[in-house]
Amino acid sequence: MRIPILKLNQYLLITIQVDLDDKTALQFQEDLLEKIHETGAKGVVIDLTSVDMIDSFIAKVLGDVVRMSNLMGAKVVLTGIQPAVAITLIDLGIMMKNVPTALDLEQGLEKLQQELGG
Amino acid sequence: MDKLVIQLLNESRERIYTRWMDEMERVRDEHRLQSITDAAYEETNKELFEIIYTHIEQNVHKPTDRMTQFAEHLMKIGWRLSYITQGLQTFRRIILAVLLDANQSNDKVYSMYDEIDRWIDPIVNQLINESAKNWENTVSIQKVALQELSAPLIPVFENISVMPLIGTIDTERAKLIMENLLTGVIKHRSQVVLIDITGVPVVDTMVAHHIIQAAEAVRLVGAQCILVGIRPEIAQTIVNLGIDLGQFPTKSTLFKGMKTALEMTKRKMIEIE
Repeated sequence: MRIPILKLNQYLLITIQVDLDDKTALQFQEDLLEKIHETGAKGVVIDLTSVDMIDSFIAKVLGDVVRMSNLMGAKVVLTGIQPAVAITLIDLGIMMKNVPTALDLEQGLEKLQQELGG
Repeated sequence: MDKLVIQLLNESRERIYTRWMDEMERVRDEHRLQSITDAAYEETNKELFEIIYTHIEQNVHKPTDRMTQFAEHLMKIGWRLSYITQGLQTFRRIILAVLLDANQSNDKVYSMYDEIDRWIDPIVNQLINESAKNWENTVSIQKVALQELSAPLIPVFENISVMPLIGTIDTERAKLIMENLLTGVIKHRSQVVLIDITGVPVVDTMVAHHIIQAAEAVRLVGAQCILVGIRPEIAQTIVNLGIDLGQFPTKSTLFKGMKTALEMTKRKMIEIE
């Protein structure tokens, strides 16, 4: 199972629509970094609206992806984290510090535009 | 119930009534009914006695409708349930005495005693059950009402919401606050949420912990928290306890917080000419 990565101008859009298992997550990490390298994208939005469950491993992978992408010069915003997911993450003690977030895709793109444009 | 018992009770009704009334008058203070006028007390007693007696006449082993209504009415005007249970218990004691006076053989008295016990206990039990159910109902209704009042999220401007918190925050309430906050943020599409703690009397490590957690969760769903309404004494406790609230902005008043929130969403208040 691979997660599709879409390119829109200088951004990459990823909507995760399946429950992430460990293998898919790692595959996704590789695919995304490859794609950033390939396209030279400046911004990435990862939309988690339809994800109901994030465990500590997935949270770690997502955090890693954000940092790795930053190293490659692409800003990442996580969008659409559901309340239940947020509560679970906080309860697990995963604060996901230094990871920018936004309410939905629209606000996420706006945030990227601000950071890149400004 | 044994026909003989009923007959006996009917015959000595007057005697039982007088003795029962005397007893009830003696325990009146226990039920905090001193403020009721003598006439009203006697009237109620009389009614209760008659209701108890109808149970015997109709030979039923559970409270009649009239009994339940009578009990409900008394509770509504603030009498205690113990008044009725005591009335029934006193009644039992007196009819036993009357039966004993009637010179029955020991076996007979024992079986009568047994029978009367089995007659009165279900009535008492059911009355207690029903009023307990009543109380539980009231308590649960109040709990729901309290919950509704507990943590409202109010959209003030586009993308800016306020959650005023009033009263002590415990773990259960903190959970509710977090849930309301997150679902509200999604619902109103808020970018900035102001949490106003002006009305929170004490901020200890636990309360601060809950607030920090809520703010972190809000950040995860993609909005920002500003903590406002920090009174001088609260600021002192927070620093003395070594709590770090540095992760998100804090302001002393809701007004200042609102200004910051507007700035964060690229707006400002201006005075019109």
